[in-house]
Amino acid sequence: MSDQPITNRSESRLASSWSAATSSWLPAVILLLATIVVWEAAVRIFAISAFIIPAPTEIAKSLVAQWGTLMQATLVTAGEILFGFLVSVVVGIAIALVIVRFDWLGRALYPLVVLFQNVPKVALAPIFILWFGYGLAPKIGLILVIAFFPVTLSMLAGMQSVDRSLLSLMNSVGASPTQILFRIRVPHSLPNLMAGTKIAATLSVIGAIVGEFAGASDGLGYVIQFASTQLDTALVFAALLLVSVLGIAFYYAAEILERIVVPWAPKFSQA
Amino acid sequence: MRVETIRAAGGRPAHIRHDDLISAKGVSVVMARQLVLQNIDLSVPKGSFVSLIGPSGCGKSTLLKVLAGLVDPTSGSVSIAGLSPVEAARKRMIGLVFQDANLLPWKNAVDNASMLLGIADRSLSRADLKARGQEMLELVGLGDSAHKRPNELSGGMRQRVAIARALALDPAVLLMDEPFGALDAITRDQMGQSLLEIWQRTGKTIVLVTHSIDEAIHLSRHVHVLGIKPGRITESLDIGLPYPRDLSVTEDPEFVRLVVQLRTMLRASHQPGGAS
Repeated sequence: MSDQPITNRSESRLASSWSAATSSWLPAVILLLATIVVWEAAVRIFAISAFIIPAPTEIAKSLVAQWGTLMQATLVTAGEILFGFLVSVVVGIAIALVIVRFDWLGRALYPLVVLFQNVPKVALAPIFILWFGYGLAPKIGLILVIAFFPVTLSMLAGMQSVDRSLLSLMNSVGASPTQILFRIRVPHSLPNLMAGTKIAATLSVIGAIVGEFAGASDGLGYVIQFASTQLDTALVFAALLLVSVLGIAFYYAAEILERIVVPWAPKFSQA
Repeated sequence: MRVETIRAAGGRPAHIRHDDLISAKGVSVVMARQLVLQNIDLSVPKGSFVSLIGPSGCGKSTLLKVLAGLVDPTSGSVSIAGLSPVEAARKRMIGLVFQDANLLPWKNAVDNASMLLGIADRSLSRADLKARGQEMLELVGLGDSAHKRPNELSGGMRQRVAIARALALDPAVLLMDEPFGALDAITRDQMGQSLLEIWQRTGKTIVLVTHSIDEAIHLSRHVHVLGIKPGRITESLDIGLPYPRDLSVTEDPEFVRLVVQLRTMLRASHQPGGAS
């Protein structure tokens, strides 16, 4: 009897959190569905030809018809993104560690990294094709140059924002620079690093598609280019849809990684 | 009856002179072409509780950093049991506590408490460190919070962990820079009282930098008042109230008299003094 109200309260809390979740998602879902309906209606009413704007039903048909080809391409692109992303994170972390640990090297390297960041890296794609051919390597290279920077920069920011009095404490007991780096600076930088990693995940998708545009015989970027030369716009949109799904998947994978790596970091508000 | 006890104790010599654990002679510090500290002479008897009080910008935190070996004096010398502050720190003779607890958010209380000890003494095993951390948490009254992360602890509890971390080194002296400055008044009183009990149980020498007149008188045996422009010791006051003290000491007439006296000294210390 006495625990009755508690059960009720927890149930109602569950119900209210469910309704909060639906009410936060619902407007976006309604708008999306409405857009699709209006899109479909507009294409039919104004008889817009399919190679300019295909109707959503045409895109869905194309998706089903070309499912095998599209899945194979998705797998190739996903592999490039994953590999390129991992290389970017490893290289990004390594550069940040070198800059922080070796003062003179950092002073030499950091301005060059920033300078390089201002090179329009998409323009490097043809050069990478020239150097590395049409395989996996130029895509990995392109993802790397696009995606390592937010990793390096966020980790640097995290490592350099350690409180001075904490460093005083460490110095007072004779901690070495390497001890301070790995016991304090690196773990302290993890929340920042994870934020940079999420940006890198998004940029990796862009890098892979640009790499495939520049020269490839497989992957979603290749499908998009090939389909557009065939005026098969429905297939272009179908591939685009899959690229977006990949992007979202990689972003959330990075977010899940964040929750595993830094469970102690302050979370952004759920509201 | 209380008043009588206090009076009787007040009749004793102000303090018994022990060997000085810390002695600073003619310490001056120039930073960014500014004379931050001028000709400081300070002696801290072994086992004593000394407070440094003064207006903002009087250099009391800098003086504490000089004692800790974190700032080199421009002239003058500091000796801690015959060693330079840096040597003393390397021998784990100095425990530091700052206003911010500076706990590592990814470690729980017991690992935070033993963190500095682990760096200072690499021969200790993980089990040794845990045991030492737990022992220190119990000393500061947090024995049952060992597995909580800093974000699960209140401000006062975090500062207790910071004190445990300093004590884990088993230092001869505890240097504290406004350790309770960020806490609310009631928590602050409780923390002061706990610190007093820890001091009496461990026999450490404590140097406390504070803004609070009440705190300085409640806790310390000697109070040094620092003045501004340049930072220098303008007055020193012995607190004759007998130990053990508890918070009821703040209602004692002698306590009230000392508050008035110290407040007058502090007011005078706000006036910039010429180089003398």
